[in-house]
Amino acid sequence: MRWPRRSATPLPTQPSCEQVGAVLQAYLDGELGVQDTGRVVEHLAHCERCRIEVDITQRVIDSIRRQRPELAPELHDRLTAMVDELAPPTLDSGN
Amino acid sequence: MTVTPEPNERFREQVLPELEVLYRVALHLTGAPAVAEDLVQDTLVKAFRGFDRFDGRHPRAWLLTILRNTRSNDLRRRRPDLLDAEAADRIPARGPDGEADATAAQAVAGQLTPQVRQAIAGLSSKHRAVLVLVDIDGLTYQEAADLLEVPVGTVMSRLHRARGRVRRQLVSVGFLEVDG
Repeated sequence: MRWPRRSATPLPTQPSCEQVGAVLQAYLDGELGVQDTGRVVEHLAHCERCRIEVDITQRVIDSIRRQRPELAPELHDRLTAMVDELAPPTLDSGN
Repeated sequence: MTVTPEPNERFREQVLPELEVLYRVALHLTGAPAVAEDLVQDTLVKAFRGFDRFDGRHPRAWLLTILRNTRSNDLRRRRPDLLDAEAADRIPARGPDGEADATAAQAVAGQLTPQVRQAIAGLSSKHRAVLVLVDIDGLTYQEAADLLEVPVGTVMSRLHRARGRVRRQLVSVGFLEVDG
């Protein structure tokens, strides 16, 4: 679950490129509040320079996130078994 | 103690989706897969014991808090000197659990693209900690802030700088092409 957060200082109605740049990563991470997100989206609609910046930043983030290793199935089974031991599933749990 | 099926199911619903994140964070905190599993197990036991006091909101944050406190207690018992270190250093390139660190590093780094791995390794421990927690472990800013015991704004600024440095490094080695 994400906690959409508001910026300490909300963006003005028509933010500058510098102001958008300051919250760009929070925007891409889904961490901006609804109002600020809307203002970033509006800015990007007419600012090619910031759209390019979004594209580059997103590629950097994606390249890092792709490094997230998959957990081995055996490990996942062991972790699940820990929960099974503490709180065994009921018969009608479906899983 | 008798536990009725209903709390069991609620516990499972809250905890099972978070197991992977718990393990990833535990691995980065400890640097050793076996120790990380022990830490997750201890965390689950404490979570189960305290489940009747959990309000059901934000299970990941609740579990990460238990995990962090469990880890701190472990360190206090074994290595009290480590508690004086910066919170970010609890997620070191080489953890406090000795030679097992190498195994943990390989377990994670072995699957990384070399250029990205080098870029991440080149970060300071503070910046690497935030980047790993948010981008690799998938925590929110607030969750990372709570774990590192720093303000959310600090997480944001460190993440901004960390990604910026990774970006410059990836561009410099030709891994990332940037037009204009």
